Amino acid sequence: MSNAFFDFIERKITPIAARAGTQRHIMAVRDGFIGAMPFMIVGSFLLVFAFPPFSPDTTFGFGQWWLSMSKQYFNEIMTPFNMSMGIMACYISAGIAFNLAQSYKLDAFPCAMLSLMTFLLIAAPMKDGTLSASFLGGTGIFTTIIVSIYVTELMRFLKVRNIGIKLPEQVPEKIRQSFNLLIPALIVILTIYPLNLFVQHQFGMILPDAIMAIFKPLISAADSLPAILFAVFLCHILWFAGIHGAAIVGGILQPFYLVNLGLNQSALAAGQPLPHIFIEPFWSFFIVLGGSGATLGLVMLYTRSKSAHLRAIGKLGIVPACFNINEPVIFGSPLVMNPILFFPFIVAPMVNATIAWFAASGDLIGKIISLVPWTAPAPIGAAWGAGWQMGNGLLVIALIIIDMLIYFPFFKVYEKQLLSQEADMATEMETNPV
Amino acid sequence: MKKIFLCCAAGMSTSMVVNKMKQAAATKGIEVEIIAVAMEEFDNTLSKYDCCLLGPQIKYKFDDFKKKADAVGKPIAVINNMDYGMMRGDKILADALAMMQ
Repeated sequence: MSNAFFDFIERKITPIAARAGTQRHIMAVRDGFIGAMPFMIVGSFLLVFAFPPFSPDTTFGFGQWWLSMSKQYFNEIMTPFNMSMGIMACYISAGIAFNLAQSYKLDAFPCAMLSLMTFLLIAAPMKDGTLSASFLGGTGIFTTIIVSIYVTELMRFLKVRNIGIKLPEQVPEKIRQSFNLLIPALIVILTIYPLNLFVQHQFGMILPDAIMAIFKPLISAADSLPAILFAVFLCHILWFAGIHGAAIVGGILQPFYLVNLGLNQSALAAGQPLPHIFIEPFWSFFIVLGGSGATLGLVMLYTRSKSAHLRAIGKLGIVPACFNINEPVIFGSPLVMNPILFFPFIVAPMVNATIAWFAASGDLIGKIISLVPWTAPAPIGAAWGAGWQMGNGLLVIALIIIDMLIYFPFFKVYEKQLLSQEADMATEMETNPV
Repeated sequence: MKKIFLCCAAGMSTSMVVNKMKQAAATKGIEVEIIAVAMEEFDNTLSKYDCCLLGPQIKYKFDDFKKKADAVGKPIAVINNMDYGMMRGDKILADALAMMQ
């Protein structure tokens, strides 16, 4: 059975994943998010200062001071947050169009500009001299993806069909570029804008609102335990085949993470309970702590292994594992296509996901309100992501121990196999000295 | 001087391999420049370097990247799983240098 199964992964699942991982639009969306990531990480880092991790009746002096400072300077702290994370869909809009245009070898900068204009046109119509920001954050993510792809495809279509204003050759390149934008800008305003007005008249909501309504069932489905477990399973099957499952599955999950994060942050600002659980730090620090496969516990076992090979991997892998990097473990052990370690490799992260999900939905731990670089050590990252809640860090430590217990019996079997191989090699060396 | 770049999903684990390769180059007295980049940097980096090695975890990108590398006549390969896992800098370096012969 196992051979047929591994064969199936290698021949059926891997090529599909490879296609998803190299698909032009998926890559452009992923790279667009990456481009905006620094703003979002710094922005959400600042959010924590506005919402100190202390209850109002704390007797701790520092906590009291922090609470009063955050109240006094609330707007001053929130402005950098609002203008970075709070309107992330603007930056993402330009980022996706830029990357998609580059992959088509179009002029990337004009595409990015046009995409931003189009997005603002439908998501933040100006009224009385102010733009409404309600759809410039997480709730605008799906709109921004659709708009930036539409705009870039339109630019490409016009270029392929040679539609545009022809200028004589002597005209400098920069001026030519800006003229190239005239027709597309006009077409965008003549197509998307009437659609927006139509939707507004018919349904009393603007386009981003309607798009959010369409995606709503998908968003709540994605934030459920079965969906999380499916994503974890798929990611680890891919890793098992030796390819970067997290880069592929994570790329598809990213829009959902950002919508959920945006909704949690608005709920926090409004003083309401946080609605969503499944956001990137939840994945990085609870589910795949120490790297995909939740191997931090396994590497700790390796460091004290009797097998020289596993001990070498343990020595090589323990420090990177603290920062959630585990390629030495995955390719060195190897975990890739290793039937003995297949079961714990898939099951440990799923167990982590289940425990952390129930802990979060039962409010035993804090839900995520802040983005954190995924290389933060897992207990710290988990606490940071929820606005420095220590309970999150403690849960991560408990999960490390649970993962060790899950890996332990399989580790022992594998160690025994390696030990007998190592012994065979040693006797061979003795009988046939080089 | 030969210039090699390594490429993986985020450029994190390859940067560990790069350190090992630099150590190997230093002990052998080979002059070589080696860097690690994330996969979205591939296009920008390819023009400035002589040779590219991919981390095995992004081997699904190989066909796509090979077309681009072939177009400019630069060698590209995926690093062997076990060499990568054990961070065998000397062997990976030797393979890369052989590719550029």
